[in-house]
Amino acid sequence: RAAAGDGCAGSFTLSMERIRELTDLAELEATYGRLCEKEKEVEGELETLLEQQGTVESKMIALHRMGPNLQLIEGDAKQLAGMITFTCNLAENVSSKVRQLDLAKNRLYQAIQRADDILDLKFCTDGVQTALRNEDYEQAAAHVHRYLCLDKSVIELSRQGKEGSIIDANLKLLQEAEQRLKTIVTEKFDVATKQGDLPQVERFFKIFPLLGLHEEGLSKLSEYLCKQVMVLLGIDREENTTWFLPAGVARIVETHQPIVETYYGLGRLYTLIKYLQVECDRQVEKVVDKFIQQRDYHRQVIKAMVLFVCSACRELDPILTEVALMNARSELYLRFIKRRIISDFEVGDSMASEEVKQEHQKCLDKLLNNCLLSRTMKELIGYYITMEEYFMRETVNKAVAMDTCEKGQLTSSMVDDVFYIVKKCIGRALSSSSIDCLCAMINHSTTELESDFREVLCNKLKMGFPATTFQDFQRGVTSAVNIMHSSLQQGKFDTKGIESTNEAKQSFLVTLNNVEVCSENIMTLKKTLESDCTKLLSQGFGSEQAQAKIDSCLSDLVAVSSKFRDLLQEGLNELTTSAVKPQVKPWINLFLSVSHNVEEEEFNDYEANDPWVQQFILNLEQQMAEFKSGLSPVIYDSLTSLMTSLIAIELEKVVFKSTFSRLGGLQFDKELRSLIAYLTTVTTWTIRDKFARLSQMATILNLERVTEILDYWGPNSGPLTWRLTPAEVRQVLALRIDFRSDDIKRLRL
Amino acid sequence: MSMEDYDFLFKIVLIGNAGVGKTCLVRRFTQGLFPPGQGATIGVDFMIKTVEINGEKVKLQIWDTAGQERFRSITQSYYRSANALILTYDITCEESFRCLPEWLREIEQYASNKVITVLVGNKIDLVEKREVSQQRAEEFSMAQDMYYLETSAKESDNVEKLFLDLACRLISEARQNTLVNNVASPLPGEGKNIGYLTCCNFN
Repeated sequence: RAAAGDGCAGSFTLSMERIRELTDLAELEATYGRLCEKEKEVEGELETLLEQQGTVESKMIALHRMGPNLQLIEGDAKQLAGMITFTCNLAENVSSKVRQLDLAKNRLYQAIQRADDILDLKFCTDGVQTALRNEDYEQAAAHVHRYLCLDKSVIELSRQGKEGSIIDANLKLLQEAEQRLKTIVTEKFDVATKQGDLPQVERFFKIFPLLGLHEEGLSKLSEYLCKQVMVLLGIDREENTTWFLPAGVARIVETHQPIVETYYGLGRLYTLIKYLQVECDRQVEKVVDKFIQQRDYHRQVIKAMVLFVCSACRELDPILTEVALMNARSELYLRFIKRRIISDFEVGDSMASEEVKQEHQKCLDKLLNNCLLSRTMKELIGYYITMEEYFMRETVNKAVAMDTCEKGQLTSSMVDDVFYIVKKCIGRALSSSSIDCLCAMINHSTTELESDFREVLCNKLKMGFPATTFQDFQRGVTSAVNIMHSSLQQGKFDTKGIESTNEAKQSFLVTLNNVEVCSENIMTLKKTLESDCTKLLSQGFGSEQAQAKIDSCLSDLVAVSSKFRDLLQEGLNELTTSAVKPQVKPWINLFLSVSHNVEEEEFNDYEANDPWVQQFILNLEQQMAEFKSGLSPVIYDSLTSLMTSLIAIELEKVVFKSTFSRLGGLQFDKELRSLIAYLTTVTTWTIRDKFARLSQMATILNLERVTEILDYWGPNSGPLTWRLTPAEVRQVLALRIDFRSDDIKRLRL
Repeated sequence: MSMEDYDFLFKIVLIGNAGVGKTCLVRRFTQGLFPPGQGATIGVDFMIKTVEINGEKVKLQIWDTAGQERFRSITQSYYRSANALILTYDITCEESFRCLPEWLREIEQYASNKVITVLVGNKIDLVEKREVSQQRAEEFSMAQDMYYLETSAKESDNVEKLFLDLACRLISEARQNTLVNNVASPLPGEGKNIGYLTCCNFN
């Protein structure tokens, strides 16, 4: 609608032209109609506008009447503004007066304060004199403390006032009194220290902080406490072997910590211990020097270093234990000190900045690492490790030299001995509470076991297992000749030949057992150490890396266990090739001398008098009996497994060299079954698998006709998995003399 | 520790006189920082960093030993199991260079004969205070058949290179070893070398 209105004028002018152009009646009528409608609309609008004229006029009249009123309002507003300005000025005036008053009041207060201070000063001056006269040092110190708390600038100002001279005099008196008090307290403290009078010491100790002499107080107290240390040491001297100085110092700290906290505030423990440590260090030096002298420590070290013959081992043992104990005590002490100081700093520095905290931490680290006690112990531990390693090596050598194997024992004495020694040495290192020392000894033990001791066992295995029976006979003859020869030269006859062979055999088997036990012992040792270390670490010894260090060193130790296992495997291979194989092979070769190209009569004869397998089994049984009694069950089991494989391989070879009749095949099948049945009883391993190829060969050799193989081959094989290749199957078939080679060739496999 | 954590594990031990910057080298490499006013190391410190080289995860166990004499018996115990030794001296300190033959004797005595030794001259940022010329050090290292590198833990010069090159050489060495072992079956008594890979089987 609005659009229609808008376009009204335009459409009108346009329509004039368009009207002229209009020729069609209907269109003309329509246009006319629209124009009429518009006319009506315009008329309506005009009428409403005219109707409004009255109201507009009356509004204009009302406005004219309001004119004079507005002028009145303007005047009133100006008046109001004036009044507000006036009030404002007045208020500012008043407030500046109040400010002046406030200032005056403050000055008044200050004046009162100063007067009070001056009065206090006077009171203190008098009080100090009286207190000093009465030897009431606490009171005197309280007065001095009050004086020290006074605002120094105020006193300075007062001195410039009219009564400056009086104040000056008072001040001078006070300062004198302060000095006197300091001297007296120091003297009295010294006397009390000398007399070991603990109540007096504590009395004067409490006065120092009142005089602002915290540092001096702590230093004095530590002087007294150092005397106590000496007293403790005096007792110690008599007991000689005990090393409880650090423990004593720790106890002293514990006793006096509350008084320091109460009168000196928190965060002061470090200072006290710093002073105390100096004395502690001095005493430690004496004790260590004496220890070194008494125990001839350095000479022992030198002995150990230049590898003197170990007559010293027995002497060394208690010294090493003592050093480990000394270190454990000192570690315990340092850990105690550290914990105490840290917690003291923590409370004292709770509001301090990060820098102060770090500074304190650094001081603490320095105290702990650089104190003589710590450095001396590090040095002693350094020597200790050298000596402990030497002790371990020498005692291990001794254990090896004294090695014996009692009859009926699978292992010899040195394995138990060596592990006892290693355990002892690492255990002692552990008892020192020093993680680095422990790790170093684990490392040295690893070296000792991996190189030296493994070498010993290795060399024993290298000597080999002497062969017996047929070869032994041969060798026996030649050696007997040799022995006779040499004996003749020496003029006596030696019967040791056979005996020494037996000994060598025994030694080889025992060494194999030893190697296995070593491998197991290392794992046990590692587990024991692991739990021991966990205990030590849970007590808070060692840094954050301690666990990682120990783990790494222990994993090196464990790796040695598998080296022993490898050595065992090598030894077993050696045993198989040098002892088992030379015997088993001829026994198997006897198979060739038993014809398997047999007819009914011979087959029945074999039935009655077994030609080969029973004797073979008997031989095996005899041979293995020796090993069974001499080897641990695990090793024996591995050996039988190796032997079984060997038999399977060798038997296959001879079967391929034989020829078979139908009944010969049956004979072989029977023999194989007996053999497998026997071997199954002596091993815990499953041997079916190892004999799978032979069993399949037996099946083939038992066939009625060549083509019967197809009942078992390919899609007919059922659950059977063939281990023989088609070529091998043909080869086996060809072993049957009654099978025609043309038939075999014609087979489709 | 599981096998999947890494493909190789090597032990690297840093040795050399006190104050030549061993700890700073290790800190720079493992944590990327240069702690000023580093105190003397006590005993041995231990850090682990795993790096990737040609797609293989190499775990480096780095043992930072104290240079001071009194810790010698502790630090010596770590030589034997080390795959590599980083022998460090300070190029601004003639004394630390002159002690090198002594350190080499220690290595000879305690370390495994398969160990790889790298000679490192540290603190090249203090070039104006240099006392040991590069040529001299190079000649020395050549004569001793050692790899030589100059570093600055402070400016982080050559630090990454030192450890990564070393890791590369250790990998190729380890590969060669396992190859040799696979070809020749060990004789009884000689024992086959336990490959680096198998060290972690027992945790």
